[in-house]
Amino acid sequence: MRLTLRALISHGRVARKMGLGPESRINMLRNLLTGLVRHERIETTTARADEVRFYAEKLVDYAKRGDTDEKAMKMASFWLTEKDLVPKLFNVLAPRFETHSKGYTRMARLPNRENLDRAKMAVLEYKGNPFPPLYPVKKDNELTLINQLLRGYREDRAQQLATKA
Amino acid sequence: MATRSACRALERRFASAAAAAAAAAAARPLVAEVRSQRNAVFSREQARQRALYPRIEKIEVSMQGPGLDGTLLVMNRGMSTPLSCARHLTEYHVNNSVLALVDGEPWPLHQPLTDSCSMTLLTFKDSDPTLANQAYWRSCAALLGQVLQTAFKDDYTVELLSTPEVPVTSGAFCCDVALDPQLDSWTPSEESLRSLTKGAQQLIHKDLPWEPLEVAPSVALEVFSHSRCKQEEVEEKAAQHPKGRVTLYRCGDHVLLSAGPLVARTGLCSQYEVTALHSLGQGPWGLHRRAQGLSLPLQLQAHHTVWRKLRQRAEKLVEVSRLEEAAPPSPPDSTPPPTSQ
Repeated sequence: MRLTLRALISHGRVARKMGLGPESRINMLRNLLTGLVRHERIETTTARADEVRFYAEKLVDYAKRGDTDEKAMKMASFWLTEKDLVPKLFNVLAPRFETHSKGYTRMARLPNRENLDRAKMAVLEYKGNPFPPLYPVKKDNELTLINQLLRGYREDRAQQLATKA
Repeated sequence: MATRSACRALERRFASAAAAAAAAAAARPLVAEVRSQRNAVFSREQARQRALYPRIEKIEVSMQGPGLDGTLLVMNRGMSTPLSCARHLTEYHVNNSVLALVDGEPWPLHQPLTDSCSMTLLTFKDSDPTLANQAYWRSCAALLGQVLQTAFKDDYTVELLSTPEVPVTSGAFCCDVALDPQLDSWTPSEESLRSLTKGAQQLIHKDLPWEPLEVAPSVALEVFSHSRCKQEEVEEKAAQHPKGRVTLYRCGDHVLLSAGPLVARTGLCSQYEVTALHSLGQGPWGLHRRAQGLSLPLQLQAHHTVWRKLRQRAEKLVEVSRLEEAAPPSPPDSTPPPTSQ
């Protein structure tokens, strides 16, 4: 009988292992983050998207400090491998999320990849991007009988309130 | 003595009662007679129109619609209806289609097709169900008319006036009626409105089809030979129609006249309530009354809270402004005159 457990318990370590090692993991995340800042919506495996999410939000927090801040500029230039995205980060993304305190990204699951590995895929996006929404809002048809009756009812009430006021 | 006078009083009372009964008996077959006569004329005309196609000729109907584009059905001329085309498709189409659009023209589901055409089946849940909504409103008004005709005792005459074309946003469909002069002082209580509703629900439960029939005005005048008001309406409608023909509809054993196409069958309505009966004042046929109701189809049922609010609104009088007089919309309930462009 087996007297030892297989070592699949993480014992509180939250960082995933990705790629060839810790440096490879950071490089991979850096590439993903650059792609995210450039395109504002990317498709990857669920694990990678989940890892990048933390770094994406932290990057926006740094960008909110402003590009005059030394630390913020260093972080931006380290994490964004394509240097033309650094002005985009400070001038487009930071003002967009001025009113948000956290939650600048959105993640949604996709169907599994078509390859042999059938990997779990996810789409990660910065909120406020120009693409059509990930969860489209289905609008009720305004012309159905019941909606027309309700429209008449609402107009009637509005008229009544106007005459009463 | 006392007994003799009492006997005489009783005799007199029974005599008067018998006289009244005789008078009632004279009036009672009249209503049933009228109904059976109208039915007979309708059936005769229907049989005559069917006999116009003794041999089966084929026509090609191409269906349009979601998932059906270009489906070609080979149907019989003068015998196949849009409903039979739907039966060739699926049960969903049979249960949910309200009206058919044949070459762009609204066509009742039970009217036979006469030529090769392209057809679309309309439902309540299309992207543009305006035609279906109007047809449904007209059919509910027709149903209300039928209920009113059969609701009262045979001693009282009920004269159905023309049902006004009311848009759906006004909140209720109306049926104009002129009751017997004996009922001029009668205002309906809630109980009577509820019994009218029950009558309508019974008709809905029977799921009777509205059979259309396009006839020449002379036949229509024969059908309504007992009612001067209806004959005038027939003449009006014949004048408005481009070909001068009039469309009659039959539901069960009640024959009626309608301005436009009606829905396929009564079973399509689910929530139906007669909400009010307003008096509009003296007209040429007696005290002009407007019966109003509210209804929703089987596919678009409302939650009871929403229904209650809509019903409360349907109790208010709906005023109809005619197309000819461009009356400015003054009271809050009046429908604004449609811009005739």
